[in-house]
Amino acid sequence: MAGQVYFDNAATTPVDPRVAEAMQPYLAGRFGNPSSLHWAGREARESVACARRQVAGLLQTEPGEIIFTGSGTESDNLALLGVIEASGQERNHLVTSSIEHPAILETCRFLERHGVEVTSLPVDGEGVVDPDGLIKAMRPTTRLVSVMAANNVVGTLQPIHELGRIAREHGVLFHTDAVQAAGKIPVDVRTLPVDLLSLSAHKLHGPKGVGALYVREGVSLAPLVHGGGQEHGLRSATENVAGIVGLGRAAEIAAAEMADEAVRLVRLRDHLIESVTALISNTYLIGHRYLRLPGHVCLGFSGLEGEAIKLLLALDAAGVAVSSGSACSAHHAGQPSYILQAMGFDALRARGSLRVTLGRFNTEADVDLFLQVLPEAIRAMRPVTSYPAVTTKERV
Amino acid sequence: MKVTVNDLPGLNCGVCGYRTCEALAERLLSEPDLLKRCIHFSTKPKAAAPATAVATGPAPSPCGSCANSAARSDKPASWRDSLGREFDFYLDHFPTEPGPREIIIPHNPMLTREMNVQPGETLIGRPLGMSCGCPITHCGVAMQVDHRTGVIVWCVTGPLRPRQEGYKDLGYYIAEGYEGMIHKSRCDLTIGMRYFFQPTMCMLQWRHSGLVNYLNRTANGTQVRVEGLWIG
Repeated sequence: MAGQVYFDNAATTPVDPRVAEAMQPYLAGRFGNPSSLHWAGREARESVACARRQVAGLLQTEPGEIIFTGSGTESDNLALLGVIEASGQERNHLVTSSIEHPAILETCRFLERHGVEVTSLPVDGEGVVDPDGLIKAMRPTTRLVSVMAANNVVGTLQPIHELGRIAREHGVLFHTDAVQAAGKIPVDVRTLPVDLLSLSAHKLHGPKGVGALYVREGVSLAPLVHGGGQEHGLRSATENVAGIVGLGRAAEIAAAEMADEAVRLVRLRDHLIESVTALISNTYLIGHRYLRLPGHVCLGFSGLEGEAIKLLLALDAAGVAVSSGSACSAHHAGQPSYILQAMGFDALRARGSLRVTLGRFNTEADVDLFLQVLPEAIRAMRPVTSYPAVTTKERV
Repeated sequence: MKVTVNDLPGLNCGVCGYRTCEALAERLLSEPDLLKRCIHFSTKPKAAAPATAVATGPAPSPCGSCANSAARSDKPASWRDSLGREFDFYLDHFPTEPGPREIIIPHNPMLTREMNVQPGETLIGRPLGMSCGCPITHCGVAMQVDHRTGVIVWCVTGPLRPRQEGYKDLGYYIAEGYEGMIHKSRCDLTIGMRYFFQPTMCMLQWRHSGLVNYLNRTANGTQVRVEGLWIG
């Protein structure tokens, strides 16, 4: 094995050493409970407050509008369940999209079992929600619209500004799951008509087990966890101080380096897309060519969709970590992607995607290694047809 | 339309590939097509919404779990596969096993001995030709192995297992039979009859057909064995 390349940054990202360094004191000596009044508590409390300012800085908002949670999934649950619970109405309707993360879709299913009506908006062939569909979906009982900022499987960006504007015009709250987008593209809640926004630390080179929910001032939200009243009473539990400090530092680094990093990742991404397309016939890009996350590539290979597992195994054996669909659905990986099916892919093509997601620690050398390994892996596949539907071209 | 730096959002976000909006604006003078790289400026043409655009109903099942829920839920089954073709029963796997049980034979049965396939090992291969002509490489764990005939009984699982544990590659194989449980059927089943059926875990949700040659009705469902398999 020539080396190891990690191209699965949409699943999780390596912790930035600067983040680990910031967390270290809170894993060892600094053990205080932020709710304690004495010096140890004060130290922890100040650290949590600092992290809250750092996360608020990433979103261009006030620290008081940031709630720390245990994950992006918990943030999504708090947003959806919290809004419906706080509505106090007998009839509630919620609008989401058909390509949301299971953190949203499963929460919607839970709400449906409790009488909430849910409308799921379709997407086009590139995975984009049509804002006109949202206008038609609105009802007098609609309490919340939740559409993700960027899709985790195909990387497509959603017209959040337009969708949020429509929701606001109808007097409906708007939530976006920005777990994939935060720290990678600008998310400025001063200009975005967003009332609630979820993010997760481990997607932006922070630790696992900590997330945040932005809650615009004035939004009524009911807690999921009841207890000591931490996080403005919305998320009782002694704070995960080390994790929160890590999230804060990760957000601070992302905010400072986002633009330079975006330029670098877009170059690597475009080099990868153009090279794979040139090297391997019948390659197709899934999702929009440009309205996508900077480091996100989702590819399909005509005629080889059924061999996706072979391709993953071959790349894995060569030291290249990529994925087929999202890590969260890996335990159901025998099934076609519901996201690709929603985009109009048939069941076979919907399980043949190769997700290649680049991050902060990937280099041009990583891309070059991938470009060496992938054509070899493709060549070793067993196509369904003996006709050379897929051929690798000689490198130029 | 001529776009100047004043028309760009001024965020200098870099997502277009240029460090500043000014740098992009300069390039736009000679390459106006680059404007579509600006995620803030680009507006996608609106696609016609399909008729189901605002249909009310359950959110789509994530992770492809809809197949399982259709087979095991109390909701009425549509008795149609993903291509709209009718079938008579769902074939579930045995509850104590890791996946659907298949009786298979490599296209060269000697492989079973040459590769020294052992129970518990992870295998991959594609079911080619008769039967079942599936376009998808399957992964599974060997349950029983007959080195004399080359026949392997395996349970098909997802691709995590070969990624975690390593695997042996059978290349192509023939699926000789399926065994499992029927919890939901739309007709009485008779030994010796051919039926269309839907394997619950089929990745493509395509109906299969086969001859039922073993039936055992139990309190927990009907145990069945199907041979002479075809897809469709």
